[in-house]
Amino acid sequence: MTAFLDVLLGGIFHAAVLFLVAAGLQIVFGVQKILNLACGAFYAAGAYVGVAVTAWALSRGLPPGAFLLVLIAAGLGLAVIGPPLERLLRTIHGRDDAFQLLLTFALLLVFEDVFRLIWGANPQSLGNIVMQYGSINIGPTRTPAYNLLVIAISILAAFGIGALLQKTRFGRIVRATAENRRMSAALGVNTSRINALVFTLGTVLGTLGGALVVPTAAASLDMAAELVVEAFAVVVIGGLGSMRGAIVGAMIVGLLRAAAITLMPEMEIISIYAVVIVVLILRPWGLFGKPAT
Amino acid sequence: MVRTFRRNLLKGSAAVAGGAMLALPARAQNAPLRVGIIAPRAGIAGTVGECGLRGTQACTELINKQGGIAGRKVELIVEEETSPKDSIDRLRKLVLQDKVDCVQGIVSSGVSLAMSPAVEDMRALTIYWDGTSQDGVKETIAKPRFLFRSTDNECEAVMASLLAIKYWKGQFVTIAGINPDYSYGRNNWAAFIALLKRFGIEHKVVAEQWPKVGTMDLNSHVAALKAANADLIFSSMLFADLPVFMRTAHAAGLTEKTKFVLPAAGFQHTLMKKDFTPENAIFGHNTLYFADPKASPEQKAFVAEYAEKYKDYPHWEADRAWFAMALYKAGYEKAAKAKGGEPSKADVAGAMAGIDVMSIGGKGRMREDHIAEQPFHQGLSTHKNDYDFVTLSTVETMQASNLQKPPGQDFWKWIETANISL
Repeated sequence: MTAFLDVLLGGIFHAAVLFLVAAGLQIVFGVQKILNLACGAFYAAGAYVGVAVTAWALSRGLPPGAFLLVLIAAGLGLAVIGPPLERLLRTIHGRDDAFQLLLTFALLLVFEDVFRLIWGANPQSLGNIVMQYGSINIGPTRTPAYNLLVIAISILAAFGIGALLQKTRFGRIVRATAENRRMSAALGVNTSRINALVFTLGTVLGTLGGALVVPTAAASLDMAAELVVEAFAVVVIGGLGSMRGAIVGAMIVGLLRAAAITLMPEMEIISIYAVVIVVLILRPWGLFGKPAT
Repeated sequence: MVRTFRRNLLKGSAAVAGGAMLALPARAQNAPLRVGIIAPRAGIAGTVGECGLRGTQACTELINKQGGIAGRKVELIVEEETSPKDSIDRLRKLVLQDKVDCVQGIVSSGVSLAMSPAVEDMRALTIYWDGTSQDGVKETIAKPRFLFRSTDNECEAVMASLLAIKYWKGQFVTIAGINPDYSYGRNNWAAFIALLKRFGIEHKVVAEQWPKVGTMDLNSHVAALKAANADLIFSSMLFADLPVFMRTAHAAGLTEKTKFVLPAAGFQHTLMKKDFTPENAIFGHNTLYFADPKASPEQKAFVAEYAEKYKDYPHWEADRAWFAMALYKAGYEKAAKAKGGEPSKADVAGAMAGIDVMSIGGKGRMREDHIAEQPFHQGLSTHKNDYDFVTLSTVETMQASNLQKPPGQDFWKWIETANISL
């Protein structure tokens, strides 16, 4: 029972962070049809800026218990990088998909060097700050309270995105634009503005994920590329462009990884990509995606 | 007028050329010795390379202050260690373009294994700081001429295993390992198991974790270790992922009862905070323990200068780098004395084999088979100090001659048969 709970909690925590980044990928693809490889860079940016801002705030007398608020603010504040990057990506709009992949991959590498330039090669961490919230006993096991907070924030984000897309006027316009861009434009929707807003939302989901994960890990130069691979596994399994797919895909990847690490560590990567291969063969549009017409 | 000018110009040119030719031997003798350094400066091993570079620079400054190597100042040319292919390209650049007299550095086992044939092919006198695995010794060039390798990586695992048996025999049965997923991590864990068998220690492996180097989200790995409920966890993680692992383990309550063996924790010693690193863990500092009360005056001076200059404390890569430069100095001067003039690279290589070397971490030597022997320092961790990270309550020192296989032997057979004492 203890082992099961430990694996479950570890897997859900990983899924929670993966979901945020994958949700950003999904929303951007859903509306703009951009496969944004730079999402890993946004995640890393959230982590690096989260460490820097929190360390600065703590040095200025911030009560350590308030660090989570600073991290959330750092993740949200990085929304500022969304509009200029979207403007850059607009230059290749309508071209072959390969251009998008190359440009967004180039952005990933550029960001990596920017991090190196600003923070150097050494991983950046917040030390032991994660223990500010202590640990919580869940049945026979114990888990850091911070991990549960991150899971809760991720669930809130999922509901928030769902509500935004389903219940608001903005959400209806976004969905309409995703369905038929030309028709939306003909009906008076400012699709350029929608693109900028959606891309910024996708960026913020990535930066928030990075900022939230960093107290339990460390910001490092490799983290951007590593996450991109897992995030794409999530969207392939869940279905490109589907928010429900992001949730289910993240859960599958997170739990599979945690289970494999416990039961057969050598299968950590294989277990995830075996599912990806099966999905690609049997249901190439993913569990919740739509087949191409 | 024109003819006179031409004649004077020719005379002048001849004089300059003649003077240059006469001065050439003297200038060559006084020209600085160029030492190329290849060390990681980015990524997960960036801090390691940085510490090694600082050690090299400190040793070079000291050598130059004392008159250089056989009267010649030392000049460093630094290149970055990255992938094996790119690092070999940089070795070629150092040898062919910069025409360095010696190459030093290399931390990664992967790079060292790939680079060794190129070193011999180019006849580039090269001294590795690190990255020598027991399997690596077996797999690469059997009788290198220009290549000098570091003390074996597995020495620290052998010593930590011996200390675990010495301190905790009868206090553990179930064991778990979390080690980096490459030859170093695999060999260390296998060495631990082999030594338990060698000393007849009853044990049961309940979990084996192999995170990729640099994995920073270790929640699932810690969950798996918790589920395994081991009496003892052996981890030769050594980069920035180690403090993350210990922090995650502590938050999950794993450090309360479990014994920890951390043979390579010294690489991250200042990041192993008291908040999450338990006392009485076996903690390896490899060839340099910065706070060793029995340290030489040279080590104490180096550590003090390092702390003042960088607001940090050095780990073993600084010592490995120091050892490499001190070895080159000793070999070059021995060869120069024997030849009565400027020695060739082959002369220096010949002189370095079998020579004793005093480094900051203690006295070592370069074996005849071009594998270094250096003293290793480990002990039990303590919170009783003025730092915010753990140090050692007891310092045990062992010579590599007791921790690494003799020339030509198989490591695993050596563990089974060697006269190893606790």
